[in-house]
Amino acid sequence: MVELLTQLKPLFQTSRPLLSVLERADLEKLEITSERLLHLFKNAPQDDRQGLHKLRNLVGALRGYSELICEDFDRVKTPELLQHLQQLGKHSSEIDLSQPPHSESDEFDSDIQSHGVILAVDDTEENRDLLSRYLQRNHHEVITASSGQEALEILDTTPVDAILLDLIMPEMDGHEVLRRVKANEALRAIPVIVISGLQDTPEIIRCIEAGADDYLFKPFNAVLLQARIQAGLERKRWHDKEQAYREQLEKSQRFIRHTFGRYVSDEIVENLLEKPEGLKLGGDQREVTILMADIRSFTTICEQLDPGRVVKLLNIYLGAMSEIIIKHLGTIDEFIGDAILAIFGAPTSRQDDTERALKCALEMQQAITAINKANLLEDLPEISIGIAINTGSVIAGNIGSERRSKYGVVGHTVNLTARIEDHSRAGEILISESTLKTSKHNLSIGRSECVSVRGINEPLNIYQLLGFDDKSSSDTNL
Amino acid sequence: MIRILLVEDNELNRDMLSRRLQRKGYLVVTANDGNAALNLMREEQPAIVLLDMNLPIKDGWSVLDEAKEDPTIAHIPIIALTAHAMEEDRQRARVAGCNDYETKPIDLPLLLAKINKLTNNNAY
Repeated sequence: MVELLTQLKPLFQTSRPLLSVLERADLEKLEITSERLLHLFKNAPQDDRQGLHKLRNLVGALRGYSELICEDFDRVKTPELLQHLQQLGKHSSEIDLSQPPHSESDEFDSDIQSHGVILAVDDTEENRDLLSRYLQRNHHEVITASSGQEALEILDTTPVDAILLDLIMPEMDGHEVLRRVKANEALRAIPVIVISGLQDTPEIIRCIEAGADDYLFKPFNAVLLQARIQAGLERKRWHDKEQAYREQLEKSQRFIRHTFGRYVSDEIVENLLEKPEGLKLGGDQREVTILMADIRSFTTICEQLDPGRVVKLLNIYLGAMSEIIIKHLGTIDEFIGDAILAIFGAPTSRQDDTERALKCALEMQQAITAINKANLLEDLPEISIGIAINTGSVIAGNIGSERRSKYGVVGHTVNLTARIEDHSRAGEILISESTLKTSKHNLSIGRSECVSVRGINEPLNIYQLLGFDDKSSSDTNL
Repeated sequence: MIRILLVEDNELNRDMLSRRLQRKGYLVVTANDGNAALNLMREEQPAIVLLDMNLPIKDGWSVLDEAKEDPTIAHIPIIALTAHAMEEDRQRARVAGCNDYETKPIDLPLLLAKINKLTNNNAY
């Protein structure tokens, strides 16, 4: 009785959303009754006569409500609940009411022995009865099946914690049932204990190879049966726990992916997930190609638009750009207003970091046409961008404080890129000499300029990138 | 419509049983203690009373005694509801004037049959 009530609890929770307000109210009353009954079992009253009275009242209410709800549920919204309620009604009519409740608290609280729903499959009725009796004595709930087919049908609809399986049955024998259970993704985890009529070791070996978890010989010993069931249930419980844990993990990974994926490439996210120690502060020096882009006269645009529309404009723009950068395996280091800082070569460096940066820039410029089309529809102003690319060494890693840090790059190369970007005009891509030299492809260059920039003594050569010159890469999907 | 007075102090049982009876087409009046039960018997003149014997303040036995001594309500049949299945209780209820006796938990079809029998015979 106590087990049944405890078992009902989660069912109440899951069924609740499916029910109407009135049905829910009834179910809640049933729940209250169950709670009180559990309480009564846990804290048996001193006075026997009073205890008996309470017990009978509660069992009466329990039975009444379950019958009441069953009557309501003839349309069977939640067959599982209905089944449990009918069971509850049956149990409550069978409960021994001649004795006042004695505190079951010891048994109830110490959950050393786990109880479960056991499916006993045997074609002989006496064996089924015997198994049921043994199992019920150990507080398991027993479902019996008289054939392999019936067993599979039950497994299809009812969650079961362990299966006791007779091997020799007409039509579908135990081996076949076992095979099907283990071939079914949803059932595979249920421990199967096979029961063999003979001490037939090769037969048992065959079963164990086919995935059986344990075995018993007939006539079986009740203590041994309980021990094997216990072990099986324990395994199942661990498996369920592990499963829940795995699901939780996947959920949090999805969350991390979703949250961070908006800002960093999937690659960094994967790195983080695989090596969380990678989150520790610090970095290393490495050769990267840096891409910086910004919208020309963005300040003026901002002045002419209301804030909501500015954000809309930025979202369209940054969304399209992020996609292109990530497609070319770049890492978006930062958005600062309309400005984008992307890195190629960190956290993972590849042979073609520079080429990918260049292709990415070309594609970004091309994408502006489409963005402007979209802007036109939204009644947003046209935009144009300037891009600068520079190659050099940086410190890359998690930079910041323990409280707030981000993967990023710092160093002279970064600053220099920003200076080059200052010189770019609308629609232009400017690359530094180092990038030009690193590129393994011939580039088609437009204007070139020698500029002096803040922070460096020597003047700097910058080149306007028009495209790739060699066939090998011009046929890429730009 | 047949009017039933249900006297029951346990609110869950009262709620449950009254609704189940209503569903079967009875008009159900409820009381949760002995005094209220007697007052309602006089005012409402129910066709039958379902009386829980284990009531607070004035228990079912006192209600039974008083009811049987009051000529205005003495004729109303009473079914005692008790949690005690002991034979002495049953005897005591009979002697005190109960028409019938039901043990909790209530088996509804059985109770309905008894109600039916007693309310049909009410003509005499």
